[in-house]
Amino acid sequence: MSIDAKDTTWSGPGARTEDIEHRFKEGERVRVRLSSTGANPRTPTYLRGKTGVIAELHGATYAPHDHRGVYPYLYTVAFDVSEVSGKSTKDKILVDLTEEWLEPV
Amino acid sequence: MLETIQQVSFDPNMKDFEAHVTALEADLEYWRVKRIEPRILHFVRRNILPLHALFVTAANRVTNRAGTPIFSRSDGKNGEEEHNHEHGHEHEELEERIRGLEDRLDDYVRAIALAATDQGKVDFVIDDSRKESGAYDPFFKFIKRTHGGSLEERIQQLDLELTQNMLVLETFTRSLIENGLISEKTITKRRAEQEDEGAKNGARIVARAWVDPDFQQRLKANGREAVRELDIPPGLLAKLGVAENTDKVHNVVVCTLCSCYPRALFGDPPWWYRHDTYKQQIVQDPRAMLGEMFGLKLPEEVTIQVHDSTADLRWFVLPQRPAGTEGWSEEELAKLVTIESLIGVSKPAIRGK
Repeated sequence: MSIDAKDTTWSGPGARTEDIEHRFKEGERVRVRLSSTGANPRTPTYLRGKTGVIAELHGATYAPHDHRGVYPYLYTVAFDVSEVSGKSTKDKILVDLTEEWLEPV
Repeated sequence: MLETIQQVSFDPNMKDFEAHVTALEADLEYWRVKRIEPRILHFVRRNILPLHALFVTAANRVTNRAGTPIFSRSDGKNGEEEHNHEHGHEHEELEERIRGLEDRLDDYVRAIALAATDQGKVDFVIDDSRKESGAYDPFFKFIKRTHGGSLEERIQQLDLELTQNMLVLETFTRSLIENGLISEKTITKRRAEQEDEGAKNGARIVARAWVDPDFQQRLKANGREAVRELDIPPGLLAKLGVAENTDKVHNVVVCTLCSCYPRALFGDPPWWYRHDTYKQQIVQDPRAMLGEMFGLKLPEEVTIQVHDSTADLRWFVLPQRPAGTEGWSEEELAKLVTIESLIGVSKPAIRGK
């Protein structure tokens, strides 16, 4: 099932995972786009252009009072702190990003 | 700046007055330019509460001073009364005055929450309102007031600003009531709820997850629905993210862009959660941040995972149950869980250990 921002079948806020089309699977390496017009503007700038790994799949989300209704497929992407700040460490940053921000590596 | 956080959050005795005053200035401006004045302007722009309605309320307020204030504290005190100047000791007097200002800031923050209205009546998209309040475009940004001068001058300015901010907020809220956009009953009800909220809901969720593995599974699978079992309404979040701590992984939550947090569930996060220093350092070097700022030293083999909240998924940390709590009741366990441990900057601990 493709995601429609104006989907009216949602009864309230929540996330749907079943039968929703999505491009990436768990463990896949992805890069954050430098810009993505019209997409969730809250993708942090420090992550633009960085490479991470899909850690969790959340499905399409809907929050009636927020943003634009139904949001594209949401992933938690894991980045190495070392990739972001250059600090030598194994610690991770986990960020929730919508599909429109991600491209395959 | 880094030392500021440490001293203010972990030392119960006020030592660094400057740090407290700096934090007050930053916090007060945050609540004014981000949380309440943009809201007032949205209402004016959309003709929900026209400017003339606000002016009518303000004018009535001047001619009818006998009206009871909306935001009096339930303990009957207010910050202004608390710092009388009769102390001989200058140091103590200064501390009391700053604490008085901090209490008034707390009142202001709580009063902003009281004035929230049902926006369902209009086609109101939060992202548009973020644009209007200048979250993305500096053109729309509210200019913050500048602060400076001696400590005494800064305290006097804060005193004045708190009075001014409260006057605007009271007029706005009174006008909402007069124009039927919110009822006085709702405000009374909310005030009662506020006094019983905070980290308590979060603590109950964690304690239940510790004693009931089935509940813990349901919480991780669908937190939104699971918290209803404890009669806790999940609010408007799309999904509740449960970041579970293990022997190998320690989680910590931040929102680098604003201050996203499962407020509906846990109340407002602590002030440092909105502090730029916390936001920047925790993603750049989480281990140093936790160790130096919060005194949480984690073994090398433990990986730190920082969750940066960016979407409609709100994360909270499910801490590990402390050793030595076998056989404790759910109520006793809940008392160990603090708002800091739900964010991941501390671990629940048995007092005195």
